[in-house]
Amino acid sequence: MNSIITISTVLNTASMGLIILGLFIIFTQKNLIKMVIGLGLADTGVNILLVSTGYIEGNTAPIFSNTSLKISQMVDPVPQALVLTSIVIGFGVSALALALIIRLFEKTGTLDTSKIRGLKW
Amino acid sequence: MVNPILLILIPLGTAFLISTVAGALKNSTKYIAFLALLANVWISISLLPKVLDHPVNVIIAGIKPPVGINLLVGPMGAIFSIIISVAGVLVLLYSFKYIEGESQSKYYTLFLLLITGAQGMILTGDVFNLFVFFEILAISSYILVGYSGDRNGFEAAVKYLILGSVGSVFILVAIALIYQETGTLNMADIAGKFALVASGKKMMILLFFITGMGVEAAIFPLNSWLPDAHSSAPSSISAVLSGFVIEVALVVIIKFVYTIFAMTEVLQYLSLVGVITLLVGEFAAFNQGNIKRVLAYSSIGQIGLILFAMSLNSEAGLSAGMMQIVNHTASKSILFLVAGYMIKRTGSYQFSDYKGIAKKMPVSSFLFVLGVLSLVGVPPFLGFFSKLNIIIAALSSGNVFNTVMVFLILLGTIIESVYFLKIIQIFYIGEPVKEGVKEAPFFAVLPIALFAVVILLGFLVLPEIKDYAGSAAAELFTKIQMAQVF
Amino acid sequence: MRKLLSIVLLAGFIFYFATLTGGLLIPSNSSERSSVGLDILSRTANETGSANAVTSVVVLYRGFDTLGEVTVLFLAALGISVFMKSTSKVRKRTLDQSFILKTGSRLLFPLMFLFGFYIIVHGHITPGGGFPGGVIIATGFFIVLLTSESVEFNKTLMSVLEGLAGLTFIGLGLVGLFGSGNSFLQNFLPLGKFNTVFSAGIIPVIYAVVGIKVAAELSSVVFAMKESK
Repeated sequence: MNSIITISTVLNTASMGLIILGLFIIFTQKNLIKMVIGLGLADTGVNILLVSTGYIEGNTAPIFSNTSLKISQMVDPVPQALVLTSIVIGFGVSALALALIIRLFEKTGTLDTSKIRGLKW
Repeated sequence: MVNPILLILIPLGTAFLISTVAGALKNSTKYIAFLALLANVWISISLLPKVLDHPVNVIIAGIKPPVGINLLVGPMGAIFSIIISVAGVLVLLYSFKYIEGESQSKYYTLFLLLITGAQGMILTGDVFNLFVFFEILAISSYILVGYSGDRNGFEAAVKYLILGSVGSVFILVAIALIYQETGTLNMADIAGKFALVASGKKMMILLFFITGMGVEAAIFPLNSWLPDAHSSAPSSISAVLSGFVIEVALVVIIKFVYTIFAMTEVLQYLSLVGVITLLVGEFAAFNQGNIKRVLAYSSIGQIGLILFAMSLNSEAGLSAGMMQIVNHTASKSILFLVAGYMIKRTGSYQFSDYKGIAKKMPVSSFLFVLGVLSLVGVPPFLGFFSKLNIIIAALSSGNVFNTVMVFLILLGTIIESVYFLKIIQIFYIGEPVKEGVKEAPFFAVLPIALFAVVILLGFLVLPEIKDYAGSAAAELFTKIQMAQVF
Repeated sequence: MRKLLSIVLLAGFIFYFATLTGGLLIPSNSSERSSVGLDILSRTANETGSANAVTSVVVLYRGFDTLGEVTVLFLAALGISVFMKSTSKVRKRTLDQSFILKTGSRLLFPLMFLFGFYIIVHGHITPGGGFPGGVIIATGFFIVLLTSESVEFNKTLMSVLEGLAGLTFIGLGLVGLFGSGNSFLQNFLPLGKFNTVFSAGIIPVIYAVVGIKVAAELSSVVFAMKESK
């Protein structure tokens, strides 16, 4: 396929869009919880970008149970492993962020960063 | 030769071990942690002579790179590993008495995991593995910043976490693009293939990577988290963060720019960023009243200086930068650790409340003075030689830009000396105001004194230090280690 | 003033991104796709005996990354336990759950546990493995936790399990290090018959350990969050 709009391009642009959206939310929103949501969006965007680097047109999952499936018909397994790790790490960080925010809320009574002195960028 | 992978496995395994036995042993787990880091020191020191001739390549899972992951240790990695282990064990010793409370084993687990992350980052030969260890380092530091449980700690930790995670997103984008373009994740392999990538994409990958790692390395303008984080963390953690965490991130950036991406055209801009960082840090430190914030802004300044030194595109600059890192680790740790007990004893973060404190805490104040002298660059301390070498390296390159930068660095040094002098003056002149102030305990003073030994006697072993720093610089500059993997 | 600064910063940021994203649409130089992953695909069936190539990558070829990932989860659980120290004000929430919800969740729990266990054990034959399986088991705990207040949760048991699972992972790797292969995490168990449960050397063992760790960690995270309320 020689056209510019291949599946890879679509995936790349979509994931970049998600990342930009996520980062935009982090930098412009004042509510801490919304920032965590933005972070989650950006993480998802990066993971899509990462997984899409392994995609080969028309191929399928790299599992050998069906013996008639040849290697040349499989996608790249490495990005999938990378994304597995990345998703877990992203989950861990989000959980930690939320726990911190809960405690911060208990201490200050607000989730608004403009009201919390230390958090003005 | 002991396998370098133990440098990572020992702290990691001990962290798991401590968490398993914490219920039974309670607070005695700190001794186990101490033994683990002592082992680390011994292994990293014994590693150094082996890597001077050719890098050590450790294969993991029995699968050769680039298909598998490997550890690639050259002189730079070995030296840094020693810095991390030694600084780690000394600060751990300080923490014995400094950290109080019930569940101390959690602190020691987190501390060991921080060391694991730092060691992993500097020893690995695989780019995604670098990211994983980077996350281990970052997350343990987020938690440790908020460890004291007060409001400032939480605020600083949240800010640090969010900015740090933005950095991680950028690094991952860079990794995804690297894999897309080169098909491999192994550093040496990427070094071989990177030149073939389209130049627009190369710049993109480089910028994403520098921005991502730069958050953790605290280069301007990505360092707004640092003053809060380093000042609100427990002082032992501040010492570790300023001492080697930001330096590790910076060294990784330098390593990538010189050897893996081999895009030395950005070095000019990096050196400008370095000097801007230096000036921003020093000017901001001038106005602070909180002693830990002064030290935190000073760290920003110093990291700018180190970045400048390492962006000079010369072996002399790189080796001077390495020496400056050693100096900063030792001096800044002294300053933060002393400040820790001053804060504890007086109950105040403002150094204006420390009037005449030298009479009650003579040893600590004296060590503080030593740390300041080395940081600013007074002979015969190590700091003098490292700064001198940076200036020589900058001037010898001959171009006008660098000469102007040198002038700005000297300006920064003057500002530094002024505000530190102000602080020392308060320590020594006047009558102590606060009640109940006494000297720090032995376990705290001992590690601080050992750090002081480094900066004092540094000049005695100067030829050796210059040698080692030189081979580290050569490794980066001539890409020796990359060529020898396959 | 601050508003102006943030608008300028934002504009600069968008510009930075736009130029960089534009770079993404430049077609790649390499027309022929050669990558480490494709090399792995050709080797994995014989070298590891695992039918699921992704599993063999996660556990063996990039097993060191998985060790790091497991450590990150451990860190997250540890951090949450550090931050969510039960404060003195304990507000007991008495949920008046309906009978159907309570018994339904109790019935569902063993099924979820079994299903999660199945996914973990078959990680090298079908998609899945330690991570999704561990999450499923933890979700089982979560459901029971949400619907009944009288569930006892042994925190020390969980942290002991976590630590032990981590140590087992490292221990398995060290056997490879100090044993014959002289390399950490080397596959030292027999490869067995392809596409059965008892195949692929240490891969199912490590994945089982990972599954236990993930389940323990997520359960303790959920419980810590619930307790603080």
